Amino acid sequence: MSHRLRTWTYYGVLWLVSLLFFSPVAWIILSSFKTRNDILATPPKLVFTPTLDNYIDLFTRNTSFLLQLGNSILLSVSAVVIAVFVSFLAAFCFSRFKPKGTDFLMFLLLSIRMLPGPAVILPVFLMYVAFGWKDNHLALILFYAMFSIPFSVWILKGFLDGVSTRFDETGRVNGGSWFHVIFKVVLPQVKPGLIAAFIFNLIFVWNEFLFNFIIGGVTTQNIPYALAVGAYSDGGLNWTFISALTSIYIVPPVLFIYFFQKYLLVGMTFGTVRGEV
Amino acid sequence: MSSRLMPGVLDNRRFLVFALLVPVLAFFVVFNTIPTLWLLGLSFHKFSLISGMPPEFFGLRNFEDIYYNKNGIWGDLGRTFLFVGVGVTVQTVLGVLLGFLFWGSKDMPGRRIALTLLFTPMVLTPVATGTFFRFIYDPTFGVLNALLTGGLGMGVVDFLGNPKIAYWAVLAVDCWMWTPFMTLMTLAALGSVPKAELEAAEIDRLSWPKRISLVIWHHGKFILMLGILLRTIDAFKTLDLIIPMTKGGPGQTTRLVAVELNKQSFESFNMGWSSAYSVLLLLISIAMTSIFIYILNRRRRAR
Amino acid sequence: MTVGSGSRAGNGLVLPRRTLLKSGAALGLSGLVSAPFINRLMAQESHPLAGQKIEMNILGIAGWLPSSLGVQMSPLFAEFAKEKYGYDVSFGFAEAPFSDLFQKAATSLATRSQEYNIIISDSQWLGALARPGWILQLDDIIAKNPNLQLEWYSQTVVDTYMTYPDNSGNRWGLPQEGDTIALFVRKDLLENEEEKSAFQAKYNIPLPQTFEDFEKLTMEDFEKVAEFFTRPDQQLWGTASQYSRVYDFCTCFLYPYMWSQGGEIWNPETGQVEGILNSDINATAMDQYKGLLKYQPQGALNYGIAEIIDVFTQGKVFSAFQWAAVGLGMITDANRDQVMVVPPPMHGKGADAKRVYSMGGQPWVLNAFNDETKMRVAIDFLNWWYLPETTLEFAKRGGNPTDKATLSNPDFDNINPWNRAYKYMLEPGRSRDFWHHPRYSEMLAVQQEGFTSFMTGTTASARQALDYIACQQQQILYDDGSAAERPSDACSAVSL
Repeated sequence: MSHRLRTWTYYGVLWLVSLLFFSPVAWIILSSFKTRNDILATPPKLVFTPTLDNYIDLFTRNTSFLLQLGNSILLSVSAVVIAVFVSFLAAFCFSRFKPKGTDFLMFLLLSIRMLPGPAVILPVFLMYVAFGWKDNHLALILFYAMFSIPFSVWILKGFLDGVSTRFDETGRVNGGSWFHVIFKVVLPQVKPGLIAAFIFNLIFVWNEFLFNFIIGGVTTQNIPYALAVGAYSDGGLNWTFISALTSIYIVPPVLFIYFFQKYLLVGMTFGTVRGEV
Repeated sequence: MSSRLMPGVLDNRRFLVFALLVPVLAFFVVFNTIPTLWLLGLSFHKFSLISGMPPEFFGLRNFEDIYYNKNGIWGDLGRTFLFVGVGVTVQTVLGVLLGFLFWGSKDMPGRRIALTLLFTPMVLTPVATGTFFRFIYDPTFGVLNALLTGGLGMGVVDFLGNPKIAYWAVLAVDCWMWTPFMTLMTLAALGSVPKAELEAAEIDRLSWPKRISLVIWHHGKFILMLGILLRTIDAFKTLDLIIPMTKGGPGQTTRLVAVELNKQSFESFNMGWSSAYSVLLLLISIAMTSIFIYILNRRRRAR
Repeated sequence: MTVGSGSRAGNGLVLPRRTLLKSGAALGLSGLVSAPFINRLMAQESHPLAGQKIEMNILGIAGWLPSSLGVQMSPLFAEFAKEKYGYDVSFGFAEAPFSDLFQKAATSLATRSQEYNIIISDSQWLGALARPGWILQLDDIIAKNPNLQLEWYSQTVVDTYMTYPDNSGNRWGLPQEGDTIALFVRKDLLENEEEKSAFQAKYNIPLPQTFEDFEKLTMEDFEKVAEFFTRPDQQLWGTASQYSRVYDFCTCFLYPYMWSQGGEIWNPETGQVEGILNSDINATAMDQYKGLLKYQPQGALNYGIAEIIDVFTQGKVFSAFQWAAVGLGMITDANRDQVMVVPPPMHGKGADAKRVYSMGGQPWVLNAFNDETKMRVAIDFLNWWYLPETTLEFAKRGGNPTDKATLSNPDFDNINPWNRAYKYMLEPGRSRDFWHHPRYSEMLAVQQEGFTSFMTGTTASARQALDYIACQQQQILYDDGSAAERPSDACSAVSL
């Protein structure tokens, strides 16, 4: 009996901790169902009549919402798919053939991700200015892909190192071409790595603001841009808009961490750590 | 299909290595090498995008300016390192504690949901986080002050307006976002400890401090170090959290390196000076990357 | 679609009528080939773009009511253009908040892009946009378009929204929204009999009641009113003003303290800042402005435009210093009967007391890289914008026009509650704008850091903050070649 009580207390504490960390997010979601006056009420209201107006407004009144959402999806998915694909090829090469300069290249790739955002985008911006690539979907996708490549290569190389070369050899001996070996034999075995690389980079591009602001434009604006820009409305700070938009926007990442929880760790450590939480 | 047509070509090892690397190298050259060289070149020039003048060769003037603390960047670097130091320490300590707490909860009902809730702060759009925390911190309408005054009977705290508090208030949000990450790393570190050794320690009735120092630390240290390092690098880059919260104010109290660089490059359009500053930051980040690789390699050798 | 309207459209266009007809005919032919506009042939002949479909993009300020008014009214122009000129125009919009709009515009214009055809710029950006040749100098266009040769309400309008460099007479913008600082007060509290007698008893002066009372009010007496209404236990404070680090928020509301008492911020002729900005008058002004915080809610140190709207509309403050342009946000259906908008207080005593407040508001500017078609539509748009009907419609929707004809109309004062105060502050000498210099954003950034550093108590003395700002700005202007003198040796020891 007392053992059970102890267990339940223990679980209770864990749940409390989780809820505590979640509470600011919960406050945002709660606010999205409030009217403006309820949001600004003092003392803050926990009990109120929920309204869906903020969401209805988002879809009906806000003309650019669908464009921004579409851009968010298009930019993040296509950039990350491209990145994961080319990274897989490079990671395979690094893992199997270890060409001269592998370490150096892996090092260079990583150092891009260590720089503060403005330092990364500054020269790219000047380049885009010179070539006239600004506010262009393809140019933005390619840049995001480039930014997703380093971690993808690291994650996938970690996984490929774990796939025994016996498989390649068997495939080769049986008369398979390299093409066959790479895509039919090895690729299926690193599926978890591909998923991890995909999700991790997707979440990054999904939430990315600065690069979109600097080298994107009218046609390529995404939701984080809308959040930054739409924070101010004609009647003060637009809390209803921010809370509703944030609440919608956080759904995909949260679903990802729920369904792919075991890949989360791999992604966050770019493949250097594997194992379940 | 194509592989069947030219098996000879694709099976040439040299060609294959090249073919596999070309896409990434192409990306790398176009979006990294060229821009970085551009950056390096510009760092020796005086160039403002709004002067309407072409870049003018400047020698080392930009670097001299940095050395002589133009725009007060040494203060920014100091604040940034403090931010990194305190932030990462707090996140590590809290994260490790929570990690131990969650260790052994495999059978908890709804564990996956609880962990999802715990990890949510990491995936929230930082711009939204910053904006909304401004609201949560607000002295008049904010829920935090309502809790402090109503619940604890304390006075109203102007979290983001008081220069003595603003820095820590911003740091607290960073800790809220990233402590779960250190928890995740701790769980991974604990998971890497072989069950057999733990059981052996239990049978030997080893005390907890000994169990930690002898068994757990030995297996888990690498993952934990990695976590700390990743947080260090990320905290160094902090930008989109600060912009909506304080814009680097009040005064300069929350101005970190990325904030000032963003201001100089994309508000003032001082491209020459900003390039030089970026070069400096690039050197710092290369140093951090080297430490990272060094730790990785040491582990590989130890295996 | 009538022939008559078609012939009227020729008025006020840039191209001589002959070329216009020729190209119109050519376009008409192509219009014939692409069928659906045949029935508008008459209109097409009079305008070279007739029958075309054109997409325009306006870049405006996010969360800024007058900008969105300009945007919301653009469909009216589309109707107008369809009827008068026979072409179809549709508008796309992009927005960025004050602090980021220049960044948004500049990063686009630097690529010589046509992404934004018409831009609502802040007045101080004129120099930064004009010097690299990103926006079109409007002198020729104004000369050729009688509709654009308006008589403005005061010289301040021309100086603020149109001219760069200062006093050069070169015009780069045309006013979109005029704006001045006004004081929004709670009439219901002022008119309360108990409050009146309590105030009289406490301070031995009457509580100001009318517009005229506030016209004569000095800051000294205003502070008494603010103190009187500061009642934290009732969640009510005396006033609210801007102290935020963001953009120019602190600057614009601190300058009135300096200017009204004779302080200056620089010498535009020589580019000299040091020794002018860091004066004793200005240091005192900063102390006074910081002193006003006593009567404001905690958190005022982070107040910008939006935060002030929030506290005022939620009834937390008795009064608020705010741009007249956001009147629609400040006055809601709930508080409409309780609010009065009056001129902000004078500084100084007796006959010497005066008020010199900051100008707000924005000009329209045109992207210099617009192709011929887009430029043509942009100019048509401006011609339409200054039609008396459009201007009146703008005012009715809550905007602030700047031309003499509209403002002198006796009905103007009654269109919106803040119109009278706005017009009063637009009179010569009562408001002024600051630097239109290309290095504006840099000078502003150090200044905002310095001002907020002092306001929040990070920097102990006002003089120290002013010395820092003056030295930094002197260096910026010297590097730019606009200042003759480099910062003095004393500057090396100055920091925040």
